[in-house]
Amino acid sequence: MTITQDTTRRFSAKWLQDLAVRYAMVIVMVLIISFFLYRSARFGTVDNVVTILIAAAPFALIALGQTLVILTGGIDLSVGSIIALSAMSGALTAKTFPDRIWLALLVAVAVGLIAGSINGLVVSIINVPPFIATLGMLTLASGLAFVVGGGAPINGLPAAYGQIANTEIFGLTIPVILMIVSIVGFGILMKRTAYGMRVYAVGGNRLAAEIAGVKTGRILFSVYAISGALAGLSGIMLSSRVISGSPNLGQGYELDAIAAVVIGGASLLGGRGTIWGTALGLLLIQTLNNGLDILTVPAYWQDVIKGVLIVTAVAVDVWASKRRV
Amino acid sequence: MADELGTLECRDLTKAFGGIPVLKGISLSLAPGTITALAGENGAGKSTLMKIASGQYRPDSGEVFVRGESLPSGNPQAAYRLGVAIVPQELASVLEMTVYENIFLGRELSGPFGLRRRAMIESARQILHVFGVDIEPTRRMGSLPVGLRQIVEIVKATNTGARVILLDEPSSAIAEREVGKLIEVMRTLRDRGVALLFTTHKMEEMRALADRVLVLRDGELVLDEPLRNLTDDDIVTAMIGRELEGLFPALPEPGTEAVLEIDNLHVSGAAAPLSLTVRRGEIVGLAGLVGAGRTELLETVFGIRKSIAGSIRVKGTTIKGGTPAAAIAARMAFVPEDRKGAGAVLSMSVLDNATLPRMDKFSVGGLLRQGFRRSQVREAMDAVKLRSRGLDQSMETLSGGNQQKVVLARWLTSPVDVLILDEPTRGVDVGARSEIYRIIVDLAEQGMAVVMASSDMPEILSLSHRALVLRNGIIAGELDSEQLAHPGVQDTIFRLASGLEGIDSSTPDPSTNNQKDN
Repeated sequence: MTITQDTTRRFSAKWLQDLAVRYAMVIVMVLIISFFLYRSARFGTVDNVVTILIAAAPFALIALGQTLVILTGGIDLSVGSIIALSAMSGALTAKTFPDRIWLALLVAVAVGLIAGSINGLVVSIINVPPFIATLGMLTLASGLAFVVGGGAPINGLPAAYGQIANTEIFGLTIPVILMIVSIVGFGILMKRTAYGMRVYAVGGNRLAAEIAGVKTGRILFSVYAISGALAGLSGIMLSSRVISGSPNLGQGYELDAIAAVVIGGASLLGGRGTIWGTALGLLLIQTLNNGLDILTVPAYWQDVIKGVLIVTAVAVDVWASKRRV
Repeated sequence: MADELGTLECRDLTKAFGGIPVLKGISLSLAPGTITALAGENGAGKSTLMKIASGQYRPDSGEVFVRGESLPSGNPQAAYRLGVAIVPQELASVLEMTVYENIFLGRELSGPFGLRRRAMIESARQILHVFGVDIEPTRRMGSLPVGLRQIVEIVKATNTGARVILLDEPSSAIAEREVGKLIEVMRTLRDRGVALLFTTHKMEEMRALADRVLVLRDGELVLDEPLRNLTDDDIVTAMIGRELEGLFPALPEPGTEAVLEIDNLHVSGAAAPLSLTVRRGEIVGLAGLVGAGRTELLETVFGIRKSIAGSIRVKGTTIKGGTPAAAIAARMAFVPEDRKGAGAVLSMSVLDNATLPRMDKFSVGGLLRQGFRRSQVREAMDAVKLRSRGLDQSMETLSGGNQQKVVLARWLTSPVDVLILDEPTRGVDVGARSEIYRIIVDLAEQGMAVVMASSDMPEILSLSHRALVLRNGIIAGELDSEQLAHPGVQDTIFRLASGLEGIDSSTPDPSTNNQKDN
């Protein structure tokens, strides 16, 4: 009997802790927003919110793909380079076939899908550690991006190319709408479908998933393919926004995407994390970037603050998972 | 005074985990220059006792003395200083380092110019030679077979000046021919005045090594005698001991229809192919020592491992091997040995774990049917009387017994023809055990063909219609229900499993032997 009471008492304390941990990110978010609102009149305007969303959109796509990969216990370092490669491929297509802009979109996404599929095959069939496989793809895709443009950016693209990203519907640009639709879509995918559950299972315990009949190799392959395709989509959006293709586009974006996923509470060991968490982590980073810009905090200090935030988020995660058992 | 040296003394040790007592007042004393065997079933408390004696666990009460000095509880460093070394079941050597680096790890020889590698190599060579193992000390640890690594670990322990060495199942992971070497090393240590305590399941090792035998059962020391006063039967009886009646339900009569047919299946690593037919409603027990190939056989049947040759049929239909998905489609279900490593995804909820193997049933066009799966899973979990805070509770917060119920019951939301169980009650307390037995018997009664590997002797004896003893991946003997009910059967199984008795030698005749057991 004593034991039961003991555990109940501990359970209620644990329950409070869990609550604090679960909503820690929301609390931090609210604090940061209140701080910026207090310090700057411009921060809260509709225009500024739209600015934040536009900045967030290309990151959102790769962060969603990254979430799936990290949920399986892997990592995808190549998305930044895939953005550059698909942007260059899209731009080259648009330059070659100026009348067929849809083809540029298709080519960019296909290039991303192919690069991601190669990652997936190398990881799931040859069992190369994801870190190494995607590090290789990072270098390879970055090199190819320069090859496509002969080392130079691709400019002088048809005006229609810019319409992909700059068309507005209900006052929102297509990338922003794409971001919102993707977050909702992936949220449903991960929470409500058999596929989502399989991804969680593979990351939580690959052997147990295999024994329960999950074709774990296919699941692993699919998350890298999806991540690559989303990077391709992100690439064409970024390139369309500035109506040019640059081989330096997307450089280092993979780290921001990983940061968003980790701040959102996902475990790099796999099996834990949510789309909702990633969306929140992403908005947190973008809000911070935007707010610090408005307050004219120097860029270098912005990086320092972001670095502290990332480590703090993971520290909270470790602290929380110790208390989970 | 010399007699006192190297003595380990435990006085009235108790320990409980999560309210379940594991040790209930253990007192024992080890004399220098002796080898003591510590026997007992899984979960009897052997490892816990060793961990307390080596300072890794803190006892709830009681004390450990080493050479008259009290061991500060829960302090492995102090135990090490006092000369107690433990060689764990899973070795703790650094595989990427060399043999001599491992031996000197933590107490490296160094001079003014850094490490004195040559001195360490020379010294390691000498120490190893004393034990009759001439391994080149500069070899990488990982390049050695497990048996030799273990000997290096033991050598390392003595090299730190250990006077008491505790070995947790030293022979469980090593090949037969390496056991001889291990025995030699342990005898050498005894002759040098070290007190050794080792755990084992194998009768032959006790016979070959031990001066004295201790048997733990359910946390109590039930036997402490010099080996020469004991027969094998005495030891086995002491280990099993408890009342078997009540724990096990009565077995229903099996049907006649063959459900699972294993035909000349050659399991990778097995000495030869094997055939087995299991009928509707029949429970077939698989007995054998650790490493006898039971798990490998079950995993091959379920498609987790690829077979070398042979076929598996369920109700006459041949199963495509090498994929669990095909086995599941053929209405097989599998409860693996390693619940945490292979049975459940601990980070997921009970509901999701139970949905996983039945994804096709619980989703339409990829979308999960939330209400339907919830009601179906609840029904299955209610049938096994799962105790949880609800279906959304995370698996990792359930007790071992309840986790096992989930891992078993999650298959029951669709019909199952073949149920494969690997150590179904490992790490499960006695209360939940009897419930799991009842569930297994119920399932057999509903018409499933059940294959169950178990190292728990009462399970084999009381829960099987028929038992097979495996050794080297092949069937060393088969016992029918009549033979299983015979009092001398445990000894027969031990003998078959350890190879003391050939395949051809018959089991003891019920009418002549072992009258004293009755």
